[in-house]
Amino acid sequence: MLVLVTAGVFVLLHLTPGDPVDAMMAESADATAKESLRRELGLDRPLAVQYVAWMGRLLRGDLGRSIRNGEPVLENVSRRLRPSLELATLAMTTALVVAFPIAIASAVRHNTGVDRAGTTFALFGLCMPNFLLALLLIFVFGVTLRWLPISGYLDPLEEGWLGLRSLVLPAVTLGLALAAVITRTLRSSLLEALGEDYVRTARAKGLSESVVIRGHVLKNALIPVVTVVGLQLGTLIGGAVITEYVFALPGVGRLVVDAVFARDYPLVQGVILLIALGFIVTNLAVDLLYGWIDPRIRIR
Amino acid sequence: MDVSRRQFVTSSVTAAAAVAAGAWPSAAVAQTPKKGGTLRVGFYIEAATMDPHLSGSKVDRQIYHNIYEPLVVLDTKLGIKPGLAESWAQPDAKTLVFKLRRGVKFHDGTDFNAEAAKFNFDRMKTEPKSIRKGEVANIDSVEVVDPQTIKVNLKKPDASLLATLTDRAGMMVSPKVVQERGVELGRNAKGAGTGPFEFVEWIKDDHLVIKRNDNYWNKQGGPYLDRVRYRPIPDDTVKLQSLQSGEIDVIDYVQPRDVAAVKADQNAVVVDVPSLADFAYQLNFGRPPFNVKALRQAVAYAVDLEQIVKGVWLNVGYPANGPIPPTSWAYDKSIPFIKRDPAKAKAKLAEGGKPGGFEFTMTTNNIPISVQEAEVIQAQLREAGITMKIKLVDASTLISDGNAKNFDMISFQWSGRPDPDGNIYQFFHTTPGTSFNWSGISNEKLDTLLDRSREVSSQAERKKIFSDITRILQDELPMLFIIHPIEPKAFSQRVQGYEPIPDGMMRFKDVWLK
Repeated sequence: MLVLVTAGVFVLLHLTPGDPVDAMMAESADATAKESLRRELGLDRPLAVQYVAWMGRLLRGDLGRSIRNGEPVLENVSRRLRPSLELATLAMTTALVVAFPIAIASAVRHNTGVDRAGTTFALFGLCMPNFLLALLLIFVFGVTLRWLPISGYLDPLEEGWLGLRSLVLPAVTLGLALAAVITRTLRSSLLEALGEDYVRTARAKGLSESVVIRGHVLKNALIPVVTVVGLQLGTLIGGAVITEYVFALPGVGRLVVDAVFARDYPLVQGVILLIALGFIVTNLAVDLLYGWIDPRIRIR
Repeated sequence: MDVSRRQFVTSSVTAAAAVAAGAWPSAAVAQTPKKGGTLRVGFYIEAATMDPHLSGSKVDRQIYHNIYEPLVVLDTKLGIKPGLAESWAQPDAKTLVFKLRRGVKFHDGTDFNAEAAKFNFDRMKTEPKSIRKGEVANIDSVEVVDPQTIKVNLKKPDASLLATLTDRAGMMVSPKVVQERGVELGRNAKGAGTGPFEFVEWIKDDHLVIKRNDNYWNKQGGPYLDRVRYRPIPDDTVKLQSLQSGEIDVIDYVQPRDVAAVKADQNAVVVDVPSLADFAYQLNFGRPPFNVKALRQAVAYAVDLEQIVKGVWLNVGYPANGPIPPTSWAYDKSIPFIKRDPAKAKAKLAEGGKPGGFEFTMTTNNIPISVQEAEVIQAQLREAGITMKIKLVDASTLISDGNAKNFDMISFQWSGRPDPDGNIYQFFHTTPGTSFNWSGISNEKLDTLLDRSREVSSQAERKKIFSDITRILQDELPMLFIIHPIEPKAFSQRVQGYEPIPDGMMRFKDVWLK
């Protein structure tokens, strides 16, 4: 799977017009210098040879060095991981905190005003473009009310409250979009579960509604939600590019996009590989989580 | 936003007057500069490297002009003044002798002297990844005459070299830092320069900090600021809002669509810096349709420059008559820019053998203003019966297509150089192989004029030559020139002492915060 991903990325990257030397030496017309740099970087070798060489180094644990700044790819990425992981965590937390109450309220008070409000919220979150929401939030909370910083990153683990403040708007921007999907998924799976026989039995037994929900319905309704959350988490690390751009956060998304524009091959390949790896790990965790939620699915 | 030319000029004059009267200390208004504070600057992209010999990006230069110093510097009128070189002389056309300033030290404590200067020039010429090679190509060798004097031997007379030395090609880096740090210099420039500020730290895509050099050799004026903190803020709207809300103090460029709003904002001051740039489209002589001169001219007559400058650029710039910007001493205002003429366009189409029009593709950047401009040109050409398709690409692809001459008409935005030669020679001189002469023009008369412009040293004579060159360019059309843009820079009210120099570089030596 990983081999397919890396091979695919490799081919696409190298087939795109432009190469790192052109990008780095854009203001220079010195063809000889460019050619010698290409030779030095091994860019003049056939594609297959380059790919095999890269794979060979990879198997020895060497992801290579960024062409632009000469630093190891792993170092480049690890510096950017923290802001991305923090943003992903906060965004997902926001999403869950917002989505669960709304979904539960919507499902329980099915077809009432509450339900309609909930589904409208979900629709809004789905349709609203990411960057538009970001700019609106910045305008209201940053420019007009001046409650929160407009852009820039401070590490919550180092600067505590100040750091959290710098991540609130980006987390809410990302989180609301995620919340919309989670709300819809949870609401429909709750409705389905609420219609099941065991619920009628539980109610007949005289159990209170909240016990019914918490003890029985919620756990069963969680499976599709866990799938969705897993998928979302997988894409959050490298995929929050627009949010990172708008809020000027030094995350992985921005790193990989800038690297693509600069045709920094080793960096792009390395980052995509790591993102793919992260995706696989998250999905594995999701599969294990299924087993805990629903004994019927436990991996034997 | 429909701002008429007159409105724009009036409002900018008023703004300039207000600025002169209130914000900037002039000879008449005595405001004592205060020491201290951190100036926060917002840029649109991240810097690429801190090594001036390996740098190819305009953003890098913004920082360099505060931590490094060139041998000679520009003043507000693009005149050349002493920098790290106290004086210079030309005993003959192929020799330049520089007398270097005494008592200047690099930030790491080592002396700046003739040996250091020679080291720098040698590095520019021999370092494999050096992007300065082309700029110093005419330098044959540099000799140390005595600790304060260097002799530069040229291969051919070159009247444009001094102007080139006001930027990266003239910047002096500490040899000790280069020898000890090597490629690390790209990321860490501690101790490497001689400038009014010194490098502190750089967290990529987050911030870059420089601090005041208290041992700066020039005791007149600043530096006053404690620190300058640069932040890359990729989104234009966010960058502007950061300025307006007080999170940053300076932004390097205001988009044309935001200029009017920022000028109306009480909290910000906009300074219109007319630049050295020329924005144009290169036309490919090597293949149809633009291998036919008449068809190139048909396009030139079908395009309405005034409409583009007014409608797309909102008059933040001037219609271009050629590659030389109005800020240059060589600018010839007697040569008008090519005006739209539908009748002539039609005639040229017939002359070129395509009376019913023709089709071609324009390759341009995938950024909003370029797309807008392309669409306007597309509409203008359609009226003349010419069908233009638009191909949007990213920067790397643009360069690659240009170098490979894989285009019909391709966008070319040159940030400009202080000497007209920097905007002209390498683009229009016959050059085999890969070069910036993307059009492939090879015109004997033009080549002769171009070479003479470098040999002749009298400015008046060079100006005449450049005028002749401009006229030929308007006829042959290797490039369709569109605009000489203005670079509006915006500052918070607290920022004092900024002196705009047309190369667009923000030098903070004499800047202070109220």
